[in-house]
Amino acid sequence: MSLKAKNLAEMYEQAAIVYGDRAAFATKQKDKTWKPITYKELYQTGVDLATSLIHLGVKQRDHVGLIADNRVEWIIADYACQLSGSTDVPRGADITDDEIKYILDHCGAKVAFIENVALVERVKKAKLKSLTHMILMDPHEKAPKGVLHINDLIKDGEKLREKGDRKVEERVAGIQPDDLFTIIYTSGTTGAPKGVMLSHENVISQLSRIPIEINPLDRILSILPVWHIFERVFEMFAIYNGSCTYYTNVRALGDDLKNVRPTFMGSAPRLWENIHAKILANVEKAHPVRRALFHISYFCSRMFQGSTYFLTFRKLDLEGRNILVSLGMGIFHLLRWVFFLPWYGLFNASVLERLRLAAGGDLKASISGGGALPPHIDEFFNYIGIPVLEGYGMTETSPVIACRTFSRLVLSSVGPIFPDTELRLFDINSGELIYPNPNKPNGGKGIKGEIHVRGPQVMRGYYKNPEATKKVLKDGFMNTGDIGMITFNDCLKIMGRSKDTIVLSSGENVEPVPIEGKLLDSPLIDHVMVVGQDEKFLTVLVVPSVDGFKEIGITGNVEELSKNQEVEKKISQIVKSAVSAETGFKSFERLQDFRLLPKTFEVGDEITNLFKLKRHVITEKYKKQIADMYRSSK
Amino acid sequence: MNLILLASDVSVLIAQKLAGGTELINKLEKPLLGVLVLVIMFGMGATLNLNDFKVALKKPKGILVGFLSQFGFMPALAFGISWVFQLDPQNAIALILIGCLPAGSTSNMFAYFSRGDLALSISMTSASTLMAIIMTPILLVFYGGLSIGGTESFTTQLGAQMEGGKFVIPVKDIIVSLLVVMVPVIGGMILLKKSPGWAKAAEDTAGFAGILVILFLLASVLARHSDLIVATDWKIILSSILVGLAGFKFGYLFSWLLGLPPRFRRTISLETGIQNGPLAFAIVLLTFGGSTAEKNLLANQMLWLPILYSMFIVITSSVVTLIYRKIGKDDYELYVNEGVQKKLFGPHYRDGMSGPKAAV
Repeated sequence: MSLKAKNLAEMYEQAAIVYGDRAAFATKQKDKTWKPITYKELYQTGVDLATSLIHLGVKQRDHVGLIADNRVEWIIADYACQLSGSTDVPRGADITDDEIKYILDHCGAKVAFIENVALVERVKKAKLKSLTHMILMDPHEKAPKGVLHINDLIKDGEKLREKGDRKVEERVAGIQPDDLFTIIYTSGTTGAPKGVMLSHENVISQLSRIPIEINPLDRILSILPVWHIFERVFEMFAIYNGSCTYYTNVRALGDDLKNVRPTFMGSAPRLWENIHAKILANVEKAHPVRRALFHISYFCSRMFQGSTYFLTFRKLDLEGRNILVSLGMGIFHLLRWVFFLPWYGLFNASVLERLRLAAGGDLKASISGGGALPPHIDEFFNYIGIPVLEGYGMTETSPVIACRTFSRLVLSSVGPIFPDTELRLFDINSGELIYPNPNKPNGGKGIKGEIHVRGPQVMRGYYKNPEATKKVLKDGFMNTGDIGMITFNDCLKIMGRSKDTIVLSSGENVEPVPIEGKLLDSPLIDHVMVVGQDEKFLTVLVVPSVDGFKEIGITGNVEELSKNQEVEKKISQIVKSAVSAETGFKSFERLQDFRLLPKTFEVGDEITNLFKLKRHVITEKYKKQIADMYRSSK
Repeated sequence: MNLILLASDVSVLIAQKLAGGTELINKLEKPLLGVLVLVIMFGMGATLNLNDFKVALKKPKGILVGFLSQFGFMPALAFGISWVFQLDPQNAIALILIGCLPAGSTSNMFAYFSRGDLALSISMTSASTLMAIIMTPILLVFYGGLSIGGTESFTTQLGAQMEGGKFVIPVKDIIVSLLVVMVPVIGGMILLKKSPGWAKAAEDTAGFAGILVILFLLASVLARHSDLIVATDWKIILSSILVGLAGFKFGYLFSWLLGLPPRFRRTISLETGIQNGPLAFAIVLLTFGGSTAEKNLLANQMLWLPILYSMFIVITSSVVTLIYRKIGKDDYELYVNEGVQKKLFGPHYRDGMSGPKAAV
């Protein structure tokens, strides 16, 4: 069952008709009970609020600010924006004062939804010229003078509707496919934020093509910020299919996994790393027999599933095997598959199921996006029986460019190219077309290049920034700035970010992310950043983990830990052993030195909401420590 | 001896082997079998919580239907199959014994993966284990002595082969051995009460060790006696497979007729078909065997069918579980979703019906 809508506003209306009294969203209340809102209620409330917005003077295609974290009022506000034919400009409550000023000013919003009174005060301080109305969203707070309250507007709208106001219907009929449904300002690691203009056509093209089946009985646990495109489209996708989205947060995640028993969950790699680390910590703490059982089970699963992947043509193939080798491997894998089948069956049932219960027990798949998933995390979840559907995309492509499906789940890849999407790879240095190129060996498969895409999901451009737009958009092709390769099983593999790449003075190019992923495996480390641009060798900045050290009996906050000799010794060992020839790293990738940082990385400061490092910010902040590491080499 | 004349080919072969000094289960395997029963029963006890029992008894319909299915259908099916195939009395009584035994502890795992009801499965397994102390001997005596259609009952047939011309089912010994088997169960329960962490480890270890030992025993016995498989009449092989399958089928049908939800049907089906195989070995060895050569021969002959049953039930229940898992997907998802929503949104919430008004 899926809807046929030309824009989001129509989609919301159809969802209300088709899914009516089913729960659409659920949020946890202060007393720990959960409150659902049905599709019908959501739509009705949205229509009422939209009526009020129109009454306030919001015109078709106007921009409306929306500054809040995940909450049901966020969705209601979004409904109201779409139903009034306007465009929302969302941002999380962790917005900085500079961003408030820049974004709300740049988009020219006259009306803005603001989550709470504290934020309202900060917006007031920004003294924005175009902003005339602020709407407070928190139902438990009273609106300060001169600020409207969302609940009052909903009531006003309801009265207007009762009197026969039908402006919403006119607005919805007037929405063009090219109209923007949102402008998302990318947090960007450098420079001023850029407003990504995404149209109704963009988002509908995604909803109708996402190759995952979900239905009204699915429960989706939501933890990423909704204003981020990955989470947002996933929530729209849930609406499109009548599923219910449950809001949680990092602190409550463990409990909520067990309460909600989600069937799908989308998140960034860092969260999967956390869950992975927690499961392993539990295994380590367990009775020796159970620990041994786990290792045996994991081994059997790896053998069995590895062969299953090979036999179903889902093993990553970067070189293109010849037929004889494939045949030989096929026979080997068939025998291995048969041999391990009963053992896998046994251990899967008795041991691995226990691990899956830690994630609620009903996860059909975990969906990872917003950054590269380290290969060992990827393998871990797949082998314990939680398929990982890793996707690849960016805000500018609303967002999906490639995504694994159950039948095309190739580990270490991001799956096949999204339907109706053209992908080209260009040589980073020469700019030569690598893929698709019939003159290249194998048509360009197996060769690295910069990824460019064209398709219905590509943005309309950066708002009021034609220069930046021109830089990335040419002939409808978006330059992603990522480096990738097409595998021989026609999947995309991401090799790194051209901007992240560290170029050593020797000219060697290093992808820091895999190295950092390896270090983050240690429970004693919270954050790391590898540095070494234009230097002779790599070094690393490390934030020690307060919890991790507490486990082994060393207590103290990050600052105290950073000065502790014991801690330094431990971290030194990890840095040496984690990145070595034995763990598969090249000699120039080894870390020659490290510094412990006295403060953790904060979301919004050193890291983005998706836990991506803002490398420039960190480099700037800790330039003293970095310089210190390279002093002796100069 | 007339004993050999009346028996099937495989029983003859077993008798010959015994005459040559080869027991079906050798000196190494016997103690292992004892350990197996001990470990399995201890592990079962370690999952048993008196509170779970109390909860289960509040909604007794599932357990009641399960009880009727386990001790009503299963022995009758075993008897019916023996009668239809006209098995020789040694194998017939062994098959009926399997039918009269409580559910096996692996049934819990299969019920869970068939998207059944784990709580019902556990309470059915433990309730039937407890009830077996009374039910098994009663049913075994009844079906062993039952004669229909003018044929002699299996006990009479067996008696005719024995030297004294009479065979009596060793009721007292069976009760005693079932009581002995309850000791490790109680031990497991005490462990659970004292230390839930260790009980979990015991449960895992028991399940794991149990399966390893039984696989080892099966492999060892079958490797040493591969000639027996060839010699076994197809009727005996078919009976050993059919008794489990019929249990699955009737358990499902019966609970369907009584209007139980699909989850319960799948559970009861599996609980009915999967019997405690190792217990069959233990009872045969402890009660049917004995000091005399004649009794020892009987025990050896009676062991063959439980061996076949244990081997085939692993395969059939795996297949049935996979089928149930597939057909049960929709109703299970509906059930889980309703359960989650009732738990989170309040007991009166019904998805798709008008829920509580969300005040915004």
